Amino acid sequence: MSDVLSGHFLTKHFGHTTALAGVDITIRQEEAVAIMGPSGSGKSTLLHCLAGIMKPDEGEVHLMGHRVDNLGERRRSELRRTRFGFVFQFGQLLPELPAEENVALPLMLGGVTRTQAVRQAREWFAPLGLQGMETRRPGELSGGQAQRVAIARALVSRPAVVFADEPTGALDQTTGQETMRLLVEATKHNEACLVVVTHDPNVASWCDRTVEVRDGRLTAQQATAYTTVLPAGGHA
Amino acid sequence: MSATLSLTWRLLRGGGRQGMLGTWLTFGAVVISTALLLFAVSANLAFDARAEHGAWRNPVAAEGDAVAIQATRWDYVRDTPILVVELAALKPGAPAPPGLPAFPGPGTTWLSPALKDLAGELPEEQLAARFGQVGGELGEQALVLPSELVAVVGLEPGDPAFKVKRDYGSASPTRIASFAGEPTDDAIAYQMLALIGSVLMVVPLLVFGGAAARLTVARRDRRLASLRLIGATPGQVAGMTVAEAVMVAFAGAVAGTLLYGLASPLLSRIPMQGGAWFVTDLLPPLWVMGLVLLAVPLLVGLSAVVGLRRVVVSPLGVAKRETPPAMRFVRVIALIAALVMVPMVSRATSVTVIVIVLGLAFLAINLAGPWVVGLIGRITAKRARRAHQLLAGRRLVDDPRAAWRTVSGVALTGFVAGFLGLLSPSADLLGTRDAHQLRLSGNVSVTEARDRLAEAKVKATVERRKDTLIVALGTGVSQENLDRARTALAGLSPGRSASTENDDGMVDGQLLTDIATGTIVVLAVSFLVAITSAGITAASSVLDRRQTYALLRLAGTPLEVLDRARRSETLIPLVIMGGGSIAIGMFCAMPFMFAGMNVRGLVTLLTCVAVGFAGVMAAGALSRPLLRSVTLNPAPRPD
Repeated sequence: MSDVLSGHFLTKHFGHTTALAGVDITIRQEEAVAIMGPSGSGKSTLLHCLAGIMKPDEGEVHLMGHRVDNLGERRRSELRRTRFGFVFQFGQLLPELPAEENVALPLMLGGVTRTQAVRQAREWFAPLGLQGMETRRPGELSGGQAQRVAIARALVSRPAVVFADEPTGALDQTTGQETMRLLVEATKHNEACLVVVTHDPNVASWCDRTVEVRDGRLTAQQATAYTTVLPAGGHA
Repeated sequence: MSATLSLTWRLLRGGGRQGMLGTWLTFGAVVISTALLLFAVSANLAFDARAEHGAWRNPVAAEGDAVAIQATRWDYVRDTPILVVELAALKPGAPAPPGLPAFPGPGTTWLSPALKDLAGELPEEQLAARFGQVGGELGEQALVLPSELVAVVGLEPGDPAFKVKRDYGSASPTRIASFAGEPTDDAIAYQMLALIGSVLMVVPLLVFGGAAARLTVARRDRRLASLRLIGATPGQVAGMTVAEAVMVAFAGAVAGTLLYGLASPLLSRIPMQGGAWFVTDLLPPLWVMGLVLLAVPLLVGLSAVVGLRRVVVSPLGVAKRETPPAMRFVRVIALIAALVMVPMVSRATSVTVIVIVLGLAFLAINLAGPWVVGLIGRITAKRARRAHQLLAGRRLVDDPRAAWRTVSGVALTGFVAGFLGLLSPSADLLGTRDAHQLRLSGNVSVTEARDRLAEAKVKATVERRKDTLIVALGTGVSQENLDRARTALAGLSPGRSASTENDDGMVDGQLLTDIATGTIVVLAVSFLVAITSAGITAASSVLDRRQTYALLRLAGTPLEVLDRARRSETLIPLVIMGGGSIAIGMFCAMPFMFAGMNVRGLVTLLTCVAVGFAGVMAAGALSRPLLRSVTLNPAPRPD
């Protein structure tokens, strides 16, 4: 498998706080990687640097062999829009737009005509179990349904990498598991790789590999996925 | 109660930078609203004060014993009217007129400060020689405005001037018991027009004030809903909201009052009735200030409670977002009904009717506005081909009332502009009048007039037509020669002054000029409201959607698309509603039109439309840095 996205010696400071202290990470074709760590460990900063949301103070980010961290804001925006997909905890859907238009939006931004964009968007609804929800507005969807719409939106422009930041953070356990299953399956089906930031081992267990961030450094890289769910009472 | 207050204070202060920004926006809105409200109220009181100051020169006949005899006439210098008040005491110890230390004795003249200055500046034979011995300077109480030219002339009761009946606009000799007098018809007309102006200014102001109050609530919605969820009683939530809104509004009202106080010297320079104002006339009395300081926070608090109803009723009320029910068409029917009424009431053109029609049309536009905005939104969304058009259209459908609030100021102002643009008569209406031929009525000797003019070295041909002396000075006559001739002829015909046709039209023309000035003032105020309102609404809409904006930007949506969506969201309804309101305003004004279309009014209208639209777009653009800042740090969680 070839490398899709890699970060080399990523360093980032916020004032006197060191969020990243020289992180090296590589994500391969169709791989799903979980980034874990306690609050304040730097895991979101790592995701933001990899996704071109932030520029690292030092180090480099490469996408398909091209350096991307040194691009200007406009090019990085374009990169995020065309090559990356994003799923957040909540609040990413525009409440005014029906579900299908929320999904179609990235395509329209890329210049696809509206009819075409909505038609392409609709194709995502059935595979994600969202039949009949096309014209509902986010306020009329359950949390799990809204996250599935967000997954469709992240994947509709056929990105190389999908970044998910606590994608199940606002969901209950069962819905969260189902959402993760769909996220991982849909991403793989699209030959994209997945980077998930989470503090929940159950979420991480859906990924091929878990890296752990502590005080801005990778402390552990587990090549094998979690296979068990922690017993009740654990730190989950 | 004190716990609620202290918690409110802590939440207010701890709201973070953007929370504070929201509070500042409300504060700013209240400052502007209060200052403009004080202006609208004070303008009325100021016209009342002028009417009162001028009342003594409009004599009321004594019912019993008269103490004096009084008459007025108009004289002119340098194309400016001079009010000459002629007085004679009928009894010893007659009361002193306002602004004079004693009753002026026969042969003495008292001049207003401006007239005294002018008499000193101009050569004697052009002005000063018209008045006999000058007794002194008139006090402020005698004057309507500081730059007014007034002469109070003392005469004998038997002076022939008191035998002469005066023209319309002057007071014929009247035996009076006191100097109470009564406001002139002109003064009353000004008071009425000021009232119409106030209605036109206050209605958009109230719409704006209401929007500002809801602005605090909108952002507090989520926080207050959380408080409800953890068990705060509706009473506590309502109490906190009211406390917060009232605290901010009170501070804003105080600042607004100060702002108005500081601005009043500038405002007093707006020329009306021929000159600037006494600053004291424009300062509202203490009871008005007290009332405003009490009423503004109260209204804002009340508006906040109304806005909060949803949260208080259900803790989940705000969290859920569903398709809002479509607005009823009955709103438009109300507008149509109001418009049908307009031609029907046109037969009775009284001020009351105009005010009622204006008020109704205003309300109807405000009712129909959101419905039309919703319709525009549906059309925009349906026809949208680009992302920003789609976003704009959907947002208009989602919350037409919010979109209406952004443009309502301009729409209502458009109505005012349309109404006044058509209604206000142009001074050109009076046509060009002759300004080089003096006329003096009365039994005047042609020879004496010729002699006097020759002595003053003024070339003129003098002839008599019926009982009027015509002094033709030739087309190229200078102001100096005209005033020399006027001065030479002064006193020739007791109780009368020599005047040109142009002079005689001046007093009527003044009202028309003032209506034009008033129109500009009302429009300036309305546009100030509209522009501020657009700016504040735009900023608050960015704040309300900051999370979504931030996440969209994070996912690679260019800032430009978000900004363009925001612009379209304002521009589309602005153009349609602004244009529509102007048309409705013009329609409503048609029955009241004094004469044909007025070019100057039309130019004013077009200028205002251009300035207003540009202002609203600029005010909206001001929140672009805010949009950039809320999307710049898009970390959805502080990790």
